[in-house]
Amino acid sequence: MTALLEAELLKLSTTRTFVALAAIAVATSVLIAGLVSLLSEPSEGSVLTDVFTSDTSSLFILILAIVGITGEWRHRTIASSLLAAPDRLRFLAAKTLAFAAAGLLLSLLIAIGVSITGFAVLSARNLPLPEAGELLAQIGRNAIVAALLGAFGVGIGALVRNQPVAIVGVLVASFVLEPAVLGLAPDVGRYGPFVGLPAAVQDLPSSDLGDDVELLSPPLAGLAMLVWIGAAFATGGALLRRRDVE
Amino acid sequence: MAAIEIHEVSKRFGSVQAVAGLSFSVEAGRVTGFLGPNGAGKSTTLRVLLGLVRANAGAATFQGRSYEELTHPSAHVGAVLEEGSFHPGRTGRNHLRVLAAAGRHPPGRVAEVLEQVGLAAAANRRVKGYSMGMRQRLAIAAALLGDPEVLILDEPANGLDPPGIRWMRDLLRTEASRGRAVLVSSHLLSEVAQSVDDVVVIARGTLRASGALESVLGTPEGPVTRVHSDDAERLAALLRERGIAAEPHDSNVLLVRSAPETVGAIAAEHRVALVELVAVSRSLEEAFFELTEGEA
Repeated sequence: MTALLEAELLKLSTTRTFVALAAIAVATSVLIAGLVSLLSEPSEGSVLTDVFTSDTSSLFILILAIVGITGEWRHRTIASSLLAAPDRLRFLAAKTLAFAAAGLLLSLLIAIGVSITGFAVLSARNLPLPEAGELLAQIGRNAIVAALLGAFGVGIGALVRNQPVAIVGVLVASFVLEPAVLGLAPDVGRYGPFVGLPAAVQDLPSSDLGDDVELLSPPLAGLAMLVWIGAAFATGGALLRRRDVE
Repeated sequence: MAAIEIHEVSKRFGSVQAVAGLSFSVEAGRVTGFLGPNGAGKSTTLRVLLGLVRANAGAATFQGRSYEELTHPSAHVGAVLEEGSFHPGRTGRNHLRVLAAAGRHPPGRVAEVLEQVGLAAAANRRVKGYSMGMRQRLAIAAALLGDPEVLILDEPANGLDPPGIRWMRDLLRTEASRGRAVLVSSHLLSEVAQSVDDVVVIARGTLRASGALESVLGTPEGPVTRVHSDDAERLAALLRERGIAAEPHDSNVLLVRSAPETVGAIAAEHRVALVELVAVSRSLEEAFFELTEGEA
């Protein structure tokens, strides 16, 4: 498994896609943190979630993970991958772990950029700053969300191997379907894997997602995300095992 | 035990029966040509063997074990598939680094195989900038990474220029001389005719012939000998007395339905002088067309 994980991490680091999307994720996160720090007046109680959760890593790692697994079919590299790792579930597990690790790394990179920007702007404006311990805990929660969504993205890509369909489907689910469910049926929507559960793991205020929304506690939300990942992995893995590589 | 054993393999894609009850084996130390027209089922058979396509029936094994059961598959089997399996944005070297890591091969093998296939100078270029021939060399490099005991090459000469094809033929012979089993599929007979020891001919997913090249090249009716003698008429009569068909072919030349050894022995027994005694065999191309019944 270590060899396969190493190979998957090498795959990630040897194409421009990861570097380019990671750079965009860092840039957008820093831009959002900078703008929020500049244009809003966060209080001592809200500064942590207002400024230091502007981490776009979860969306980008989700897309990257989908691109990573569906790209295997698109570029036909799935054949050489499975020749090296004929146990298809081990191959999928290695890819899942690799994208979880990549999500973690990406989120930590963003945390550095956002923290420097947020602290610089807030200090210059004499606005309240979060305590170091609280900030570190928030960075950790953000990183966990990125890792979970990286793993979830691989499962989705294993289920839907058509790259454009998988990406558009996830964007529609993230920006249209799940927010709509959260608005119409908050008790159901809070279990959604793209908005409700990640927000809960990040420990964002429930009110950020709607007046009637009551998010799960971070540990419970983390467990629920693991169930989603397990379901996607199991069904995606079953499909991958059955599929012919023509 | 054969290096590769295909036993009663069948594969259907929807309504298309790609392979039907196919059986043959490949021995170590020999180059086996896997021949058939386009769409005959060659690639499907190879993908079944490599565990990429699930057979509906039968078994494809390496010394009794399926590809999935091999403990270190890429060190046992190296494969070149017909369609390249590369990420266009990755360099040739990085493509091999990924495969070396996954297959637990020493990183130093990457430079060695790049040198072996003549791609060292282009190793740091992205694959999308490679010519078809360079991609084929990269695929061969990937197959050689684990110094495997079995080499499987699906249409390996695609995209190679004449020197490249010659290089590939030499590679096949070298690997076989090292005791490797080499299975090479092709629909172009000229590619393989000069380099194979054995042939397996399939058409419409079924076996048409298999065995040593010479035996497959023999005519379907048995051995035929062309014999030239100034006393051809007497020789023909002597052969017919023994129940051997002998037909005039040219002036003083007979075509005899028997092996040269038999014809020569009868001629010697009756002191008939011979000018020429030659075994007649079909070219591989003739045999191929006959065996595939014009499907090529």
